[in-house]
Amino acid sequence: MQCGMNLNHTHEGWSIEARDFPTNRGGMCRKGWTSIALLEHPERLTAPLIRREKGGSFEAVSWDEALDFVASRFIAIQSEQGRDSVGVFGGGGLTNEKAYALGKFARVALKTANIDYNGRYCMASAAAAGLRAYGIDRGLPFPMQDIAGADTVFLFGSNLAETMPPIVQWFDELKENGGKLIVVDPRETPTARLADVHLQITPGSDLALANAMLSIAVEENLIDEEFIATRTNGFECAREVAGRIWNGYIEWACGIDEEQVREVTRMLFEGNSMFLSARGAEQHANGTETVMGFINVALAMGKAGKTFNGYGTLTGQGNGQGGREHGQKCDQLPGYRKILDPIHRAEVADHWGVSLDELPGAGKNAVDLLNSIGEPDGIRALWTMGSNLVISSPNANRVRQKIESLDLLVVSDLFMSETAQLADVVLPSMQWAEEEGTMTNLEGRVLKRNRAAAAPEGARSDLWTIQALAERLGQGDKFFPDARTTFDELRRVTKGAPADYSGISYEGIDQHDGMFWPCPDEQAENGGTQRLFLDRFAHPDGRAVFHPVEWWGRAEEPDEQYPLFFTTGRTMAQYQSGTQTRRVKELNAVAGRAWVELHPDLALELNIEHGEIVRVSSRRGAIEVEARLTDAIRPDTLFAPFHYAGQGCANLLTIPALDPISKMPEFKVCAAKIEKVGV
Amino acid sequence: MGSATTVEMKQRLAIIGNGMAGARFCAELVARGGADRFDITIFGEEPGGAYNRILLSDVLNGSREAGAIETHSLDWFARNNITLRAGEKITFIDRDEKTLTSDRGRISHYDSLVLATGSRALVPPMDGLHSSDGERKKGIFVLRTLADCDRVANYARKATRAVVVGGGLLGLEAARGLMQHGAQVGVVHRSGCLMSAQLDQSSGDMLRHQMEMMGINVHLNKATTAILGDECAQGLAFRDGTELRADMVVLACGIVPNIELARDAGFEVNKGIEVDDALRVQGDENTFAIGECAEHQGQVYGLVAPAWEQARVLALRLSGHSPDALYTGSKTSTKLKVMGVELASIGTPREAEGDEVVTYAEPSKGRYKKLIIRDNRLKGAILLGDVRKAAVLQQAFDRSTPLPDERATLFFDIGRATNDIADFPDDATVCNCNGVSAGTLRATIQEGAASVETLMAQTKAGTGCGTCKSSLKALLAAKG
Repeated sequence: MQCGMNLNHTHEGWSIEARDFPTNRGGMCRKGWTSIALLEHPERLTAPLIRREKGGSFEAVSWDEALDFVASRFIAIQSEQGRDSVGVFGGGGLTNEKAYALGKFARVALKTANIDYNGRYCMASAAAAGLRAYGIDRGLPFPMQDIAGADTVFLFGSNLAETMPPIVQWFDELKENGGKLIVVDPRETPTARLADVHLQITPGSDLALANAMLSIAVEENLIDEEFIATRTNGFECAREVAGRIWNGYIEWACGIDEEQVREVTRMLFEGNSMFLSARGAEQHANGTETVMGFINVALAMGKAGKTFNGYGTLTGQGNGQGGREHGQKCDQLPGYRKILDPIHRAEVADHWGVSLDELPGAGKNAVDLLNSIGEPDGIRALWTMGSNLVISSPNANRVRQKIESLDLLVVSDLFMSETAQLADVVLPSMQWAEEEGTMTNLEGRVLKRNRAAAAPEGARSDLWTIQALAERLGQGDKFFPDARTTFDELRRVTKGAPADYSGISYEGIDQHDGMFWPCPDEQAENGGTQRLFLDRFAHPDGRAVFHPVEWWGRAEEPDEQYPLFFTTGRTMAQYQSGTQTRRVKELNAVAGRAWVELHPDLALELNIEHGEIVRVSSRRGAIEVEARLTDAIRPDTLFAPFHYAGQGCANLLTIPALDPISKMPEFKVCAAKIEKVGV
Repeated sequence: MGSATTVEMKQRLAIIGNGMAGARFCAELVARGGADRFDITIFGEEPGGAYNRILLSDVLNGSREAGAIETHSLDWFARNNITLRAGEKITFIDRDEKTLTSDRGRISHYDSLVLATGSRALVPPMDGLHSSDGERKKGIFVLRTLADCDRVANYARKATRAVVVGGGLLGLEAARGLMQHGAQVGVVHRSGCLMSAQLDQSSGDMLRHQMEMMGINVHLNKATTAILGDECAQGLAFRDGTELRADMVVLACGIVPNIELARDAGFEVNKGIEVDDALRVQGDENTFAIGECAEHQGQVYGLVAPAWEQARVLALRLSGHSPDALYTGSKTSTKLKVMGVELASIGTPREAEGDEVVTYAEPSKGRYKKLIIRDNRLKGAILLGDVRKAAVLQQAFDRSTPLPDERATLFFDIGRATNDIADFPDDATVCNCNGVSAGTLRATIQEGAASVETLMAQTKAGTGCGTCKSSLKALLAAKG
């Protein structure tokens, strides 16, 4: 959501204050309050490191030596194995400028098709669904403050009270206004406890719930026929799917009471309703269809394209929105252009001054990219920036083996992350407060982070690194080492594109407390476009589209050997793969070690006590972590946070089954078992 | 576009039966990429696309339109490149030649065959089913297809007294549908317990009482021996010598698997077409059976969930997604709403010796709840009148999870103790976002913090999601 904050430095050191910014209005969680611990952190990387042979130790070298080495290895590997043998892996935490420059670097300097990013693990399903249903993907089609103005908010798969607490104030305001909150989650999370209705569904059954709700809406005539007729296409096909349920279906598939679902459906039909999703519903092999299923419900009820109504997705990563707009994705070019669209290609090639034939086509998605290592047409070298993929990828054991078999791994990071430990070359980066740059939050609001602190000697901006490497690949004149010049180019290149930034300037961002895309020049004065779809959706005919989607179950169902559902998520005090937050003392004090949550009824039977170390395993791997007993979880389900490394790495268990549309892995459910250790 | 060679490489898959199992399998196979492997043809005896048979009673009682229960329209089959032969009945399977012959004389070849022939209504042997011309008497119906539904609805409008033979799930569903058409409705049942496959005697009695309160006459322990009337049905005669007048009769005495086609082709049949865990018909690598016509480990299921579970396994296997997927049997549950009376039945309704039984009964309100427990696992449950816990119980049954020691929580939502902030121990966390304990807050108040704002500024509590601000207020008040 991006909380505004001010940093101050005095003789006593750093201090921090929450800013009265439109998103957080002075609120902040402990990740914000403790973030200054990352400034002047003793573990920061301060010199490039090279490991000259596999298994050897790192040696600090000069930047020139490191970059010369990387460039010569890239060139050598590409000349032997072809251009696509070098891959680039970005991150949703990178600024817009870096995301843009990295995408351009891959296509223009390396001329490889193979770039993707960790947002594939995060936003890809919601993005794909938004594009299909509405013709555009912006997290929320409305500003966050609109949440407080709705009558009912239907939140599926989000634990925002833990993952982005300051956003709760908008939900508090909603409730003060008499609005209702409905939360869908297999766990009784702190967010679920805020809800008026909590639907504690079976993991991985969200799409069945969506279709059941559509069926109820049709049966009870809770549909807006005029809206369907004038602003949408494809209702008949979706309605047909809704006819495929039966008495007992909801209990069978979702594990919740049908009458409760009926009440919720009626509540949503009544007034202004918002449907908000997050990873809990999206990180599934049917994540895209799940989101489309709920969009079907919203469209059938006429709850879209009007103020205080609509579907939106809540972004977790720092720049989860902006990071997916400017060309880090394997199938995409800046401004949310499509890499296979001939017109889009021509526009971008023209801006970049490259010939159309030279511009690569679509590359491999994140999971396929990593899987391709060691395969005949696979990558042999990889540069990662802002991503700790041996922690964050599904089936992490296999990913580690793949990474270890690369000819060359280059990692840009602040710290010696678990992925950096496997690298041949580590390039130290600057962090958030040490350089300026823009980010785009879930509202499509482009924000600016200012430089407040000096970087440690030896760390460099990733933009500088990109330019310096491009120089060595003979393309140095096409890149800029600073954010402002890079942003000016991003503005020019996105002009006329779906995510149009052309009217957004650093000065305008300061003036408006952030500016919303799309923002062509004529919108600059108003701060961009706050609300999308009020007159038309983004498909050429202006209509939103229903998609017939159906629930087929999970990629892996529990069985006798692995009888439980296993699901993963975030916890309050940590963030993503933990590269940063696991290095903050105050955060580790409350959540320093991994754990697994299980229901007391299950624990009793297995004779597992609160606090003991247990072994949780799936067909792919095992972790040994502390058991936490809580009746907030279903007795058939285990939960573990995914921030941790080593024996606590939850992604050792997860299944790399992919959503066929978004290529999102099924992080949120697989089959597992739990046992006592040793004894 | 596939080249000529890939088209040739595709196998021909024929599905006989376009009902709940056949259409579901077909859709799941396509969703899992099966169309890349197979050219699919599906044969349905009924005209039109596939529809949701379970919702027929909704159509009969008018709560849904016939069109609204269509699950896969003709257009759906066309869009997915599936050849649907609607209204064409397969009359013969030649296993050796791998051909199917239809009632239109068409012969088609297959490489793989899925039998999803379903079942039909059981018409028990009794006198007076037919009029003198050998046709079935007017006013006698079964309720199995959309066409049946039409006929029943049309006739019911003119009828004054309708009777349903069979007090099981299907019979009560039919009675529910008939009520809507103005006729006086009666239900006749052989045994002394309605829905005896799903209910025990106590709940059966309670259900009967409620049905009667709503104006349905329930006649138990009545074995129907004959249908009265010459050309038209005029009533029923029972073994005990009594009679019941009615001008229309709906037979809901159960279902019979459609196994004749398979049997005539030489496949092993028993009650149903026998299949193994791969859903393969005995002794034939490329022939499969799913749904109500299939018999797996001695079980023939008459419900949707098992049919869909079988369809899933077969689609996983044939699509190549998981060629080793196995079907190991289904756990059955039913849920029904009859004229506002809700009931759910999970697993077995009757306990065996040594089982733990927990019951709750409130006859005056028509509420009854029963659990049958073995080895701390749910073996069966009945919920009548209040079915809110059906979902939780069904999941506990389906996944065989251990049950809570406090059995009452399986019947009721038992509220948790309310937390009074004043009683919080010092080490309890008040602000989850910023990890501030009650002790820290008390100490800060002790040191002079007198307002919520000061507490927030000094401790950071309440600066995240803000939901603990009321607790801060309460702590300040407790102090004052």
